Amino acid sequence: MTALFYFFAFVMLAGGLGVVLTRSPVTSAFSMVVSFLGLAALFIMLHAYLIGTLQILVYAGAIMVLFLFIIMLLDLKAEEDRKISLFTVIGGALLVSVFASQIIKVVKALPAAAEAMPELSASASEDVKNTGLLMFTDYVFPLQIIGVLLLVATVGVIVLSKKELK
Amino acid sequence: MPAYYLEVIVVVLGLTLLLVEAFVPLGDRRSLAWLAALGIGVVLCLSFLVSTPEQAEETGRFSALYATDGLALFYKRIALLTTLLVLLMSADYRKILHQYTDPERPQSQAGLGEFFTLPVFACAGLMWMASATDLISIFVSLEAVTMTFYVLVAFMRRNVGSLEAGVKYLILGALSTGFLVYGITWLYGITGQTELSAISEVLKEGAVSKTAALFAFALILVALGFKVGAVPFQFWIPDVYQGAPTPITAFLSVGSKAAGFVVLLRVSEPFIASELISSNVITILTVVAGATLVYGNLAAIPQNNFKRLLAFSSISHAGFLLMALASTPAGGAISQFSISPVSAISFYLAAYLFMTLLAFLVMTLVRTQRGGESIDSFRGLAKTSPFLALTLLIAMMSLAGVPLTAGFIGKFYVFLLAVNQHHYWLVALGVVGAAAGFYYYLKVVRAMYWEAPEDTSAPAIEVSMPTKIALILLIVAVFIFGLDPAPLML
Repeated sequence: MTALFYFFAFVMLAGGLGVVLTRSPVTSAFSMVVSFLGLAALFIMLHAYLIGTLQILVYAGAIMVLFLFIIMLLDLKAEEDRKISLFTVIGGALLVSVFASQIIKVVKALPAAAEAMPELSASASEDVKNTGLLMFTDYVFPLQIIGVLLLVATVGVIVLSKKELK
Repeated sequence: MPAYYLEVIVVVLGLTLLLVEAFVPLGDRRSLAWLAALGIGVVLCLSFLVSTPEQAEETGRFSALYATDGLALFYKRIALLTTLLVLLMSADYRKILHQYTDPERPQSQAGLGEFFTLPVFACAGLMWMASATDLISIFVSLEAVTMTFYVLVAFMRRNVGSLEAGVKYLILGALSTGFLVYGITWLYGITGQTELSAISEVLKEGAVSKTAALFAFALILVALGFKVGAVPFQFWIPDVYQGAPTPITAFLSVGSKAAGFVVLLRVSEPFIASELISSNVITILTVVAGATLVYGNLAAIPQNNFKRLLAFSSISHAGFLLMALASTPAGGAISQFSISPVSAISFYLAAYLFMTLLAFLVMTLVRTQRGGESIDSFRGLAKTSPFLALTLLIAMMSLAGVPLTAGFIGKFYVFLLAVNQHHYWLVALGVVGAAAGFYYYLKVVRAMYWEAPEDTSAPAIEVSMPTKIALILLIVAVFIFGLDPAPLML
């Protein structure tokens, strides 16, 4: 299991790096798919089957198709070489190293980091049902707010992108 | 009437406006703005009829996600009042907006309906934020608000400045959302709870890893610091404030900031109440408050654009507000003073609403009728439009903190709290900041009263009746609460 974890974590991180480092938009988009697949595998290893599946269906599936469509329709060319200033590199590296050292410190301080993952009960594996129940009973209020959020996003997309407004 | 009816009414109002815009042929779409403002005004009146929790006991999961205490109601009213005034401003702003949404057809009213409707939805989001007491409802309502602002900031889509502001806000906003979610995850991971009251109990017991709890707090502070404009998370403020349509800048600088602070108050409360990490949290807040005070005030000094000046002023006011938050007594117990940081911050934000919106209302008029936002556009305003000049003078006096204005009382409470907690460094930085404030706020006053107008033949600026009433009411509020702050104390 540990070996598998490291493998999928590596796939995910490599995909993430690919998104940032490659110059062609198509390669970037496909690196993102790879990254999402690694992430989905990690979710499934944590017994979060629903989120793992959604990760593949929604992100690697639907959203990526959308990305590729946009790349195709806009005919995006590979990015030209940019000048990267030394200041940005040093600043970025500094931020990342501070943040990484913080995370390492925190993880080391946690007692639970060494413990093994507890076995899940049988009912916990029905996570589609559990999630659905929670979402439409206890958490129906946040769900409604998300409805408003989506409405606003739809209106906004149309207003900002329509060629000629009426 | 239960408190959550208010948001329901606001959302229904928004939906109605969208439908009216789509199906009813309107001669002048500004009537949508009046309709929206009227609806929001009605909800504002209704908010005084809301039954307090003692009268209507609620049970179940919902009451854990949604608070109906005085604090929530106070910030709901701030959100409603801000939206009301922003809608009035938006109606005045029509001319400028039109230049950048549909420049080819001078008579078209393209996109106006959405421009008047989206603030209504943002208002509902701000009201939910005021009531959010669970990390999940906090996150969701915060996102609903931010999403609306992404659209509104970039609304003048043929204007490069507005688009740049929109993109900047979107990217940095997404980054801060990432920090927020990560912080929430850590907090949930160490406490096993998403309800703030339950988190508070776990943290009080002290059976959690101190490092991890501080890490979670730091991550959430990054995200909320972004929302309220605290240094070092203020990078976006000057550009976004300058690029966004002026009414939206006002909305961001008052509505978004106030809601950000109520969330910050609620989230930091369990951390400050926990003996385990209280002193560290106070130290973090003190450092952030000090940095915000210094940066906001010093960077405002050289500004020549009035909108940008107000952006830096908004950072500096965030500094004073954080100073009050950092002066929370360790352990959260308030015994020896007559005022708690929560009421000081709430009063300050209400005063900030009056004076900032006063300034923005005048600026919208000057922008639409004189065509500029630089301080030079205000030259000689006292000769051409004495009423507007006087209004802006009062706003600037209050922002700077001249006695007898609400701004002075707000600053006074903040300094009182800081002195009581022996935060003398913060007090010193605050004094320097307030002094710098006198210089940069009065720069505008000098332009209005002592300099000759750019164009002496320019006609006086017309002020529509609703705007005039709003201006007069705000001026009255600045003085009334400057003399007697009691009605606004929580």
